[in-house]
Amino acid sequence: MEKKSQSQDSQKPELDRRSLLIGGALGAAASVAPMTSAQSAPKIHAQHEAVQQPKSSHETHQRQGVFLNDDDYATIIAFTERLMPGAPGKPGARDANVANYIDLALSGFLSDQQYFYRQGLEGLEKHCQSQYQKSFMFLTIVQQDSVLAAMDENKASGFTWPTAKAFFEKLRVQTIEGLFSDPVYGGNKDFAGWKLVGFPGAQPFFTEDDMKNGKAFTREPIIGMQQSQTRARKG
Amino acid sequence: MAKIKTEVVIVGAGAAGAILAAELCKVGMKVVALERGPKLKTIDFNPHDELRFFQRQDTRPDPKKSVVTWRFNTNMKSQPLNSMSYGNQVGGGTVHYGALSWRNHEDDFRVRSATIERYGAGFLPEGSDVTDWPISYADLEPYYDKAEYDLGVSGRAGNINGQKIAGGNIFEAPRKREFPLPPLRTDVASETFDKATKNLGLHPFISPRAILSEPYKGRPGCTYCGFCQTFGCHVAAKSSTLVNKIPEAEETKNFTVITGAMCYRVNTDSAGKATGVAFYGPDGSDNQVEADLVILAPFVYDNVRLLMLSKTSVHQNGLSNSSGLLGKGLMTHIRPSVFVAFEEKKMNIYMGPNAQRHSIDDYNADNFDHKDLGFIRGGQISIGTAGQQGGPIGAAINMVPPPGIPRYGSAYRDWYAKYFASHMSVGLQIEDLPYLNQTIDLDPDVRDAWGLPAPRITYDWRRPNELKSVAFLSKKIEDIGKAMNAKYVWMGDRAQPGAPGGHHTGGTRMGTRPDNSVVNKYCQSWDIPNLFVVGSSTFPTMSGYNSTLTIEAQAYFVADAITKHYRQAPGPLV
Repeated sequence: MEKKSQSQDSQKPELDRRSLLIGGALGAAASVAPMTSAQSAPKIHAQHEAVQQPKSSHETHQRQGVFLNDDDYATIIAFTERLMPGAPGKPGARDANVANYIDLALSGFLSDQQYFYRQGLEGLEKHCQSQYQKSFMFLTIVQQDSVLAAMDENKASGFTWPTAKAFFEKLRVQTIEGLFSDPVYGGNKDFAGWKLVGFPGAQPFFTEDDMKNGKAFTREPIIGMQQSQTRARKG
Repeated sequence: MAKIKTEVVIVGAGAAGAILAAELCKVGMKVVALERGPKLKTIDFNPHDELRFFQRQDTRPDPKKSVVTWRFNTNMKSQPLNSMSYGNQVGGGTVHYGALSWRNHEDDFRVRSATIERYGAGFLPEGSDVTDWPISYADLEPYYDKAEYDLGVSGRAGNINGQKIAGGNIFEAPRKREFPLPPLRTDVASETFDKATKNLGLHPFISPRAILSEPYKGRPGCTYCGFCQTFGCHVAAKSSTLVNKIPEAEETKNFTVITGAMCYRVNTDSAGKATGVAFYGPDGSDNQVEADLVILAPFVYDNVRLLMLSKTSVHQNGLSNSSGLLGKGLMTHIRPSVFVAFEEKKMNIYMGPNAQRHSIDDYNADNFDHKDLGFIRGGQISIGTAGQQGGPIGAAINMVPPPGIPRYGSAYRDWYAKYFASHMSVGLQIEDLPYLNQTIDLDPDVRDAWGLPAPRITYDWRRPNELKSVAFLSKKIEDIGKAMNAKYVWMGDRAQPGAPGGHHTGGTRMGTRPDNSVVNKYCQSWDIPNLFVVGSSTFPTMSGYNSTLTIEAQAYFVADAITKHYRQAPGPLV
């Protein structure tokens, strides 16, 4: 039985929770965590090496770390990644820094939901331990998806308040917020979420042709709040 | 504790309050307006921020502070509503609304008579309390005209003096002249809707909106940025009272607006006459305004709540409640929707003013024959966004994916990535009839951030008339969706059945006699002549249309009665 605070998983020789959280490598490393089945071990090794030298900015998850502890943060990364998984050319929750958005929100606008999150995370841990004897972040993707499905149907054991369904819905909504809100809130890194769906951000206007041509809007640049504020100040 | 003396105090500086303030100040009356929220500036709405203004509901009341509760029926415990759609700032809801600006149909003012004339008295749904308004469309027409020209509304007439005009809404009540501004630009979504509905033999048109299509009265035209409903306009092209009537009132030097002011009581004397109001300041201070004339113009909930909270030994059931009808007859729009998503064609629904951009009126009011349908009235149908606006947060939260597509995971990601830019929504807002057991009262168990009992809604629209109406009209929007040759057409699943929908209306009904209504046709209390209660809480029936232009026309109508008649001879106007 593996608890969150235990360090080593026999199936992950070079990867424990600590290593998931080391500095800028967090994002890419955490992506490895769910893939800890025996057959994927070599792949893990390869990806783990990639972690040492991030290839692109998407592999650098930026964490400000204002509320959630390391365990809970890693759990949120893993959970939100299953809600909106990344794939090559398709940025997901981890690429977009969704966990960082949630962490910042919980210390600010959503501070009245801190207890809700603590209790929800505790329910999730209890459920995963009773079903798999492991924390959520150490489950295989298939197992993680089973946990999500059970929560979505409100059939997951271990939860009291919030219910499994309520916690699932909260995480779903806040994953959407973290993916698609302006990057100033800590998610949507490099406009990852907006690029995923083809949303050009805070454009000050659209032309008649933009509105009538029936085509994807591709005019650069995507505009976020920082860009438009800079422009406004410059007049 | 501050003590302020003035001629007129207005509670709520929104659609109605700001118009009344400006019109009264212009004839020299001294007006103090109390506004619960802040006074924002156009620059506050730049830059655009979907998280703040849509998702976190800035510009709308915080549901945790301004608590409103709801229960299906009197046997249930109430629960707090988690989102509010009315306004919480100077300008009220007109700051962030979608700016739909409809004139009610002629029969919207006389639903009871019109139904009996066409179908017989037996056709009125059992248990409903359908009543005619004490004013007609003809009474209000000059004030609709004034509102459109004074505030700035864009649209195309469909009926000028009885002459039907193709391209406009041929079902609209006759107007005396064209709109002051040409209609707003169409887009690929509205053109797709236009074509599909025409193919079905229906009569589409560009929806009239209080958004400038061209520069008007010193304000610029719309930039079609798309951050419209739930947002304030970053160029002041939306004709909110914040940018037209409030500056006009301020110019007179007869106007003071006090922000952060939570009015909690209308004061009355031992003779029962109103003497002013009491309000809490943002610092918790308890303040008094003495005034000769008190005008209540907050949203529906607070009109009812204030009158209930202000009861005295003279007015034991609350102010203006000798009829016993205070708080009764709450109505809300029931809003089913159909989502449509195209394989190739992009709708880019996030561009341009987002609410109800293109409409049909064929199934609204009594514009279609109900003889064999078993229900009365109808709904307004239009094309728009999945949520209140078109950004990716709103669409992801409000648009349940089509059957077979999960709500999360890689399949959802791929579906949303592909169809975000190619979806749209055919929306329906259905007229709800008044039922006296659909009510607003004071919640005995829940208090708001000021320690006041929360307004409590008791409401369930699942009545025989509404169920039939929803079923019939939902089929119509599904047919429209299917006529668009889209990849996916599917019914939305947004609201709990029976739950209150949009545009809450009623609670301080206007009428012809003190025993059948709370206020008279001038929105004057039957019981207290120096107390006026304005806004959509006075509507006896709600129509399928958004109510703001009617609220605004009513405010000009009431202002006229006050400045031309009441001011010279304070006393009952009827």
